[in-house]
Amino acid sequence: MLRRIARLTTGRIALGILATVGLLAVFGPVLAPYDPLESGADILASPSWAHLLGTDYLGRDVLSRLLDGSRVSILGAVQVALIALVVGVVPGILSVYLGRPFEWLTLRLADTLVALPFLVFAVAVTALLGNGIPQAMFVVGIMVSPLFYRVARAATLSVARSQYVEAAIIAGASVGWVIRRHVWVKVLPPIAVALANTTGVGFVVVSSLTFLGIGVQPPAPTWGGVLAADLGYLSFQPWAPLVPTALIMATVWACNLLADAIRDVTGEAGRALLNTRTVRAGLSGAGREA
Amino acid sequence: MTLRRWVAAFAALTLGLSGCAGDGGSGGAAGESTLRWAVTLPAHWDPVVSGSGAQFRILSLAYASLTEIDENGKAVPGLAQSWDYNDKGDAVTFHLRPGLTFSDGEPLNAAAVKAYLERAKTQQNSALFGDLTSIKSVTAQGDVDVVIALSQVDYQIPLLLGERVAQITSPKAALDPAKLDQSPVGAGPFVVTENVPGSHVYLKENPDYWDAANIHVDRVELLPAPDAATIVSGLRTGVYDFANLAAAQIKTAEAAGLDVVYQPGFNASNISINVNKEPFTNPKVVDAVRYATNRQEYVDKITFGKGKATDQPFPPGYIAYDEESANRYPFDPEKARQLLAEAGYAPGQIKVDLVIQGALYATASEIVQSQLKAVGIDVTIKVDPNWEKPFFAKDLTLSVYGTTGRESPVQTLTAHFGPDGPLNLSTPYQPAGFEAAVAAARGTPLDSPDYAAKLQAATRAGLESRALVFTYSQPNIFVKTAKVSDLTPIPGQIHWTGLRVQP
Repeated sequence: MLRRIARLTTGRIALGILATVGLLAVFGPVLAPYDPLESGADILASPSWAHLLGTDYLGRDVLSRLLDGSRVSILGAVQVALIALVVGVVPGILSVYLGRPFEWLTLRLADTLVALPFLVFAVAVTALLGNGIPQAMFVVGIMVSPLFYRVARAATLSVARSQYVEAAIIAGASVGWVIRRHVWVKVLPPIAVALANTTGVGFVVVSSLTFLGIGVQPPAPTWGGVLAADLGYLSFQPWAPLVPTALIMATVWACNLLADAIRDVTGEAGRALLNTRTVRAGLSGAGREA
Repeated sequence: MTLRRWVAAFAALTLGLSGCAGDGGSGGAAGESTLRWAVTLPAHWDPVVSGSGAQFRILSLAYASLTEIDENGKAVPGLAQSWDYNDKGDAVTFHLRPGLTFSDGEPLNAAAVKAYLERAKTQQNSALFGDLTSIKSVTAQGDVDVVIALSQVDYQIPLLLGERVAQITSPKAALDPAKLDQSPVGAGPFVVTENVPGSHVYLKENPDYWDAANIHVDRVELLPAPDAATIVSGLRTGVYDFANLAAAQIKTAEAAGLDVVYQPGFNASNISINVNKEPFTNPKVVDAVRYATNRQEYVDKITFGKGKATDQPFPPGYIAYDEESANRYPFDPEKARQLLAEAGYAPGQIKVDLVIQGALYATASEIVQSQLKAVGIDVTIKVDPNWEKPFFAKDLTLSVYGTTGRESPVQTLTAHFGPDGPLNLSTPYQPAGFEAAVAAARGTPLDSPDYAAKLQAATRAGLESRALVFTYSQPNIFVKTAKVSDLTPIPGQIHWTGLRVQP
């Protein structure tokens, strides 16, 4: 699938940006020219050869802080997407096969989670369990899992009611075999789209929380944290918020581009399931039996 | 519908909506002078519960105090028009102004002052009882004389019973302390007319205030302060007239043509150390922290040069500031490393949590972390939104905090160095000789030629404490629009008398 995505211009752009961001997550702390926590006397300095993005309010190198902070931001976003995937997909598929009570229960749970504001919940959980990205992202992952639940359920329903699956069941195939043999291949493409979208959402959430100072303890750098600090010193460095903002925007944009590219390469059947309207309907609770 | 009709409909709708908008819901009448102050709204409106911290400035809108201070920090009449000590100095009589009333119509007499002071000493959730240990008993003599018997000779009482400690509440309202805590009933220059917690507090002028002739503002609106970075925009666009200002925003405010006001004060920030907990049970580790502290870095990075380095619980130049003790532990990281080695600690072996309340102390805590790391102490910063509880229960090992000072310098000293001082993280520890030095300062009349020397001796004794390392002091910085007249430069306080706001 990667090769097919890479054939699209949007796919190449998305993969290029995300590969760069991925490299930052792995090698960012090594590439940082200075210790991101080391303060200096030259505070709020403009960009120079010594400090390519200037220094912050404690004289720390901003480039080093952004490079070092990339790992926390990226891992947080990936954590949200993976937790949502695990929590959402399995019940989504099983809701079609495990009978009405399970279906009713999971649908109501999904409706409830969609109705709750996940940022507020993440803040509450960090207050309860301690100020850390993993616990905050765990909650956010659970709260966005209805997206995966809806997508997986919709894809499963379309397959489960097809004649060839009914024929297979009449012929004695087990539910497990049907899921492995027929459902899984139909579910995977929309799940891939949802995964890319959710990773983008995860970036926004982790950046928002760290912007508010939630999830990380000072002086650990994050993209959202650097942005928040920059806003306090606009009169000294009016350009400073542009860099972390551009990083966050580019990464979220790349996730959305990737989702579009996956949708485009998964064919007509995939498109029918994967268009934005379906995904939104799933999140809002409408089109329950779509 | 044609384009012309659409435009006409839009214009009519716009006019209609603007007609409904009024003045933004603030309720101020045309021609009234209104002060709109962007501020952290008080969680408590009962001064007994609120305590002697910075919130007293807001409560001073609704409450009048027994005494006030002048521009030199000397006690001057407030509700009490005069006072006199007995010959021994262990009793003081305050003579109230006659005919005072609270905003609920109750008389503000000697019995009301007695009731307030006794409540402040005994109410279970009182944040003031620690400040009133010198007061043995209070007696109302007639309607206007309040006799305060003291457990020790203490000439600080007129300074103590000012805005921080003696904002007198209505005894009738105080019968329901929980209600009073949300709906203030005092005899201050203003009366609360509307209080929506978290949203706004509206006050109007109190015609029964003892100095009402000098109050020239009709109405005050307290509005929740937004993020520091947006305060200036709020003033520029006329949403607020007056606000506290972070030092980092001074340049923006000045560029916007706003008035930046540097109000004198007694502020001092510190590193609070618990000498009852490892590793600070070892005096050499505390000394290492003292030598590792570069105070000028705090001045440069937090106050942007507007503050001063201080190694005492007040700014240099204050009457109780002891020049003899100044710079006793100069910045010497090499010596700090050496002391840690002598204490048996290798670099990085000491790991300690620095617990802070939130963003207000984040920069200071990051400086502490960086400076201690440079000498081999690894500090982990932990943000605890409920920081007050472990801090005042003295459960923390290391923290950072600041004081807005006290009008009574002895109160400042005991709050920091006394065995029960709220700012002494190492309770019940106190330095040897402190108690005697403080008693000598208390026992010296404020107009005695020895007063400054006795105070400074008490400061010197207090600074033997290993529980505090003072770092910097900065003035109280406010920003205002040109509509608001200049504030009287009363140290640490905001006086509403004489203030004018153009309607």
